[in-house]
Amino acid sequence: MSIELKNIHFSYGKVKALNGISFTLKEGATGLLGPNGAGKTTLLKILLGFLKPDEGEARVLGYDLKTEKKLIRQLVGYMPEDECFIPGMDAVSFTAYMGELSGMPRQEAMKRAHEVLFYVGLGESRYRLVDTYSAGMKQRLKLAQALVHDPKLLFLDEPTSNLDPAGRQEILELIGEIATSKNISGLICSHILADIESICDQVVIINKGEIAAVGRIEDLRMINYRLYELKIKGEIDNFKKELKAAGCRVEETEDRILKVYTPSDFDHLEIFRTAARNRLQVRQFVRSQSSLEDLLAKVVGVD
Amino acid sequence: MTTIREEGYHHWGGQLAERRWTFWPITRTGIRQAFQRRRFKFLFASSFLPAVAYAVGIYISERLEDFKFMAQGAEKTLQVNPGFFKSYLTLDFIFFMILFLMALGGAGLIADDFRYKAVQLYFARPITRLDYILGKAGVVVFFVGLLTLVPAVLLLVIKLLFSGSFKFFLHYPWLILSIIFYSLFLMIFFTAFVLLLSSLSRNRDYVAALIFAVYLLSDIARGITSLIFHSPYSALFSIKANLNQVAAAFFLQKFPYDYPWYLSFLVLSIFCLLSYVVIKQKVRGVEVIR
Repeated sequence: MSIELKNIHFSYGKVKALNGISFTLKEGATGLLGPNGAGKTTLLKILLGFLKPDEGEARVLGYDLKTEKKLIRQLVGYMPEDECFIPGMDAVSFTAYMGELSGMPRQEAMKRAHEVLFYVGLGESRYRLVDTYSAGMKQRLKLAQALVHDPKLLFLDEPTSNLDPAGRQEILELIGEIATSKNISGLICSHILADIESICDQVVIINKGEIAAVGRIEDLRMINYRLYELKIKGEIDNFKKELKAAGCRVEETEDRILKVYTPSDFDHLEIFRTAARNRLQVRQFVRSQSSLEDLLAKVVGVD
Repeated sequence: MTTIREEGYHHWGGQLAERRWTFWPITRTGIRQAFQRRRFKFLFASSFLPAVAYAVGIYISERLEDFKFMAQGAEKTLQVNPGFFKSYLTLDFIFFMILFLMALGGAGLIADDFRYKAVQLYFARPITRLDYILGKAGVVVFFVGLLTLVPAVLLLVIKLLFSGSFKFFLHYPWLILSIIFYSLFLMIFFTAFVLLLSSLSRNRDYVAALIFAVYLLSDIARGITSLIFHSPYSALFSIKANLNQVAAAFFLQKFPYDYPWYLSFLVLSIFCLLSYVVIKQKVRGVEVIR
C-alpha cells in the first residue's frame, strides 16, 4: 500500500482546506483531481511533510508521516509544479546534487544523474546551465531530479505543463512506463484530465477539501452514473425539467444532442416514459462511453 | 533535445545512506558556486594581501639587524605581540574583503533559493531546516575562516619558525586560543549577518547592497549619536566598533571605547540569536499564510 490517510484535517487560519480526508491507495499510478482550490496541492504538501495536518493520521509507503518523515522523503520523488532550479549549475551537477541530498554517495549520484538525464531526453544538453533551459526542458529536468535517487513513489504536480504536444506525449509515456513496469507508484496531480486518463488506473477526486470519489476509474464510471446520448424531436424544456427532478443531469450540445447522466440505479426506460408523457419522439438513444471529464463534472457538480 | 528513453530506465542498485553531516553537500556546492562567479577568485586572492604583508612584518621583526637601513625606528611598530594579531583580525581591509566576498558569493545563498523556488526541492529530501541553514552557514564560515583563522594561525606559526624558539609561545600561551575563539566569533557573526540579509530578499543584488549598507550605516549611526550625546556607548550602534571592542577583550588589549566589552559582546550575540530566529522563520518548504 503506497498511501494511507485517515481523517486528515488542515486549515489555513479560518479557511478549512482539508476536511476529514481518508483513503488508501495501492501501487500504480493514481490521478489526483479536483477544481481549483479543492485542496490537491495542500494534500501533496502534507504528504511531503511540508505542512503538518491539524488532525488525522497518514502513512506513506508504510511509514508514519509524523515520526518517519525523513525516511519517507528518502523514498519519495517530488516534481513540483513551479519552475524551480538552482541558478549557475549545469543540469548534470544539479541532478547529482539532488541525488546527493537524498543520501546517494557523490560519485554514484553523478553517474545516476547522467542516466536519468538521458532517460528524460536531456542527454545532449546535460552540461548546459539550467538557467538557459527552455520551459519544456526545465520540466524534464524536474522529472530527472525526482527520479535520480530511484524513488519508490513519485509525487508529480502538473507534470505536463509547459510541454509541446510531442513532449507531453513522451513524458506521459515515460510516467506510464515507470508506474506500470518499473514498480514505482505515482500520485499525479493534473488539471489535464486526458493525461490522467491515459496513465492512471485509479483516481482520487477532491472537492472543497473533501473526498468526492476514490477508486479505479472504470469502477467509478460504473458506480456514479450512466451516460445516454439522445436526439429528440419537439419542445424539450419540460422533458429536461422532469428528468432533472428524477435525479438526472441533462446537458444539450451545440448539435442538439442531449446528454443525460443518470444515477446508477436509474431505470433507463423512465427516459422513454418521460418523453412519451411530453409527446416527444426519441430518434436516437445511445449508451455512451463517459470520459473522466464527465466523471469529474458529475462527482464535483460543476459543468 | 534527445529522444526520450534513449538509455532506458534502470533501478539504482545502491543504498541510500543517512549522512552524519547532511549539510555538507550544501556547503560544498555553495563554495564551488561562489568560485564560479566572475571576479570572485581575484577578490579572494587579494584578500590575502594583508596576511602577506604581516608575514613580511614578522620576518623583518626577526631580522631587524639585517634591515636596519630601511626599518629605522620601526622597532615599535614591528613588535610582534598579541596586539599584532589583534590588529590583523580587526583590519578594516579584512572586514571589507569579507563584505565584498560575501556580497559576491554569499548574497544569493538563501535569496536565490527563494527566487528560483528551490527551497521545496531541498525539503522534499531528507533535509531538515537546521541542515539547510547549517549548509548555507558553512559557506560563510569557510570564507570568513580562510580570511581570519587560517592566516592568523599561519602568522603565529611563521613567528615561531622565524624566531627559532618557543619563547613567544610560552610567553603568550593563551594567544592561540584568543585567535581561535575570536575568529570563531567573527565567523558566527558574519554568518548570521549574511544569512539574515540573504533571507530578507529574493534578489541577490539587493542583498549585496544591503550587506554594505547595513555595515556602513551602523558606523554612520555611531558617528551621529556620538556627535549628539558625546557618549562612548554610541559605539554600541556600530558593527565595526563592537567587533573591535570584543577583539580587545579576547587579546587582552586596551579597549578602544570606554565601556565594558561584554556590552558589545552582548549586542553582537543578541543580533546573532535574533538572526537565527528570523532565518528559521523565513526558511520553509512551503509558504503558509494563516
